[in-house]
Amino acid sequence: MKSAFKKRESRSGYFFTLPTLLIVFSLIIYPLGYAIFISMQRTNLISEWKFVGARYYAELLTDAEFINSLKISLIFAFFVVVGNFVVGLLLAVILNQNLKFATTFKIILMLPWLLPEVVVALIWKWLFNPTYGLINYILNTVGLIDSDVSWFDSSTSALAGVIFVATWKGYPIVMIMMLAGMKNIPSERYEAAAIDGATRIQQFRHITLPGLRPIFLVTCILETAWWFKHFTVIWLMTSGGPAGATKVVSISIYQQAFGDFNFGKAAAESVIILTILLAASYFYSRAIRNDND
Amino acid sequence: MTMIKETMANEKKYGLMSDVKVARKITNLTSYSVLFFFSALILFPILWIISTSLKNEEDLFSLPPQIIPENPTLHAFKQVWIDHPFLAYFRNSLIVVSAATFISVTFSAFAAYGLSRFRFRGHGTFMAFLLASQLFPSIMLLIPFYKIYMTFGLINTHAALIITYVSFTIPFCTWMMRGYFDGISKDLDLAAQIDGAGRFRIFRSVILPLSWPGLAATTIYSFISGWNEYIFALVLTQDEEMKTVPVGIGQLVGEYRIDWAQLMAASLYALIPLTIIFIFFNRYFISGLSAGAVKE
Repeated sequence: MKSAFKKRESRSGYFFTLPTLLIVFSLIIYPLGYAIFISMQRTNLISEWKFVGARYYAELLTDAEFINSLKISLIFAFFVVVGNFVVGLLLAVILNQNLKFATTFKIILMLPWLLPEVVVALIWKWLFNPTYGLINYILNTVGLIDSDVSWFDSSTSALAGVIFVATWKGYPIVMIMMLAGMKNIPSERYEAAAIDGATRIQQFRHITLPGLRPIFLVTCILETAWWFKHFTVIWLMTSGGPAGATKVVSISIYQQAFGDFNFGKAAAESVIILTILLAASYFYSRAIRNDND
Repeated sequence: MTMIKETMANEKKYGLMSDVKVARKITNLTSYSVLFFFSALILFPILWIISTSLKNEEDLFSLPPQIIPENPTLHAFKQVWIDHPFLAYFRNSLIVVSAATFISVTFSAFAAYGLSRFRFRGHGTFMAFLLASQLFPSIMLLIPFYKIYMTFGLINTHAALIITYVSFTIPFCTWMMRGYFDGISKDLDLAAQIDGAGRFRIFRSVILPLSWPGLAATTIYSFISGWNEYIFALVLTQDEEMKTVPVGIGQLVGEYRIDWAQLMAASLYALIPLTIIFIFFNRYFISGLSAGAVKE
């Protein structure tokens, strides 16, 4: 009797889930497998198909340029994720106090999320323009600089510039996720702490942060993955320049594939990145789990 | 004895209260300063988009830069339609993104209901996969997709972009919706079942009508992701007639001379559908997202 019920339950489950399962399988799993297949071929995707085994992997792991672009991606993702969390968490804590006009501020502060990456990249490119840009004009007027700065001609300031713009674009999603997480922390905890005389900072440290831990983990994994593989903002602002200073792995893959038509090697690069991201997410969840014990 | 204790307690309580009040005033002041600072940082580039779009060619490159245009003109807003096929770009974007959003939201609602209400073999694996799929570098799918579409002659078609955008949004939408359905009591399903309703009817007539916030959140997420997507549209469309809005805007830069006024005017046009969607669904957005995203 019970097993018949279970069987029917499981059949209904498949009925609802199967269409999406099929979509996910044919649109994600199959192409991923295909990417691994391509990564072992020397191919232009049309006429030339030659099996080369793990040759591209071996080449890439000793290729200084590729290692360097991994390093740049890592630096970029690290600073953007940290920036997003600092700004997003700070704003979420403030907005969560239900001050007057909180909703108005919330809508303004969510705007960057709404703007297309293309628009964000280009407006900042225009603002950073050495001659006609508003930023140099303001810095000149205030007296912080005395001649026009070409922000994207120096490697340090170019990388800092794209990190700044990516953070400007990226913090709202962290802010929203953290706000959502805070709504789930029971207000009695804060009341109890207030009676015990805990300061706001102590409350934040001992109630808010622990309460946010589960969503913090998920957001952290997603954010790291999103920004580690980011392409659009950097591509439109610097195209990876100057002299490769902002050439993150996504740009490297794009140029390898659609610039040099070296699809096999580009696919191998992407498989390496996938491996890194999976490993990173594994360690993240391990770290947080250990923290909980 | 008890009296003394009570007054001491009261004293402590009220003494503390006034301290708290002063402290609260200071923190409120700090809070507002932070909010104003960041709002300014957000609004300043957005106002600069508007200001630039209203300038004529001379004022664009005047020094010092004019913060408020001296000779405001709507020229760029008109000219951008004439100089570039933005009409086609908008048509393509609207077709592709609406279709992809509709497919994603429909299928993910089904799957999410299945995942929320039933336990079956592979349940856990599928859930884990949905989250893990966010880790795959989308750029990793670019090459196999390109090859597969080439084989089927789908390069330069709406279908290619629709399929691509569905594959991006369906995992996260399913995940969000499942959290939302989990928040709806299973007693409702049970009651309807006792009344003799089948599983599909329960889903359609009982659960779905209660799920507007969740559906709205997934719709916004899916629409915005598709509307703003750049690199796949760049690679998968080559005819001017088939390109989307982000690609069209990006192209304005690739040319020899950048017409910043037109670029900013086009950007503002691109924001119109997003604003409409956002105004319609915003009410539900945070509640829908929080219900879905907080649960693991």
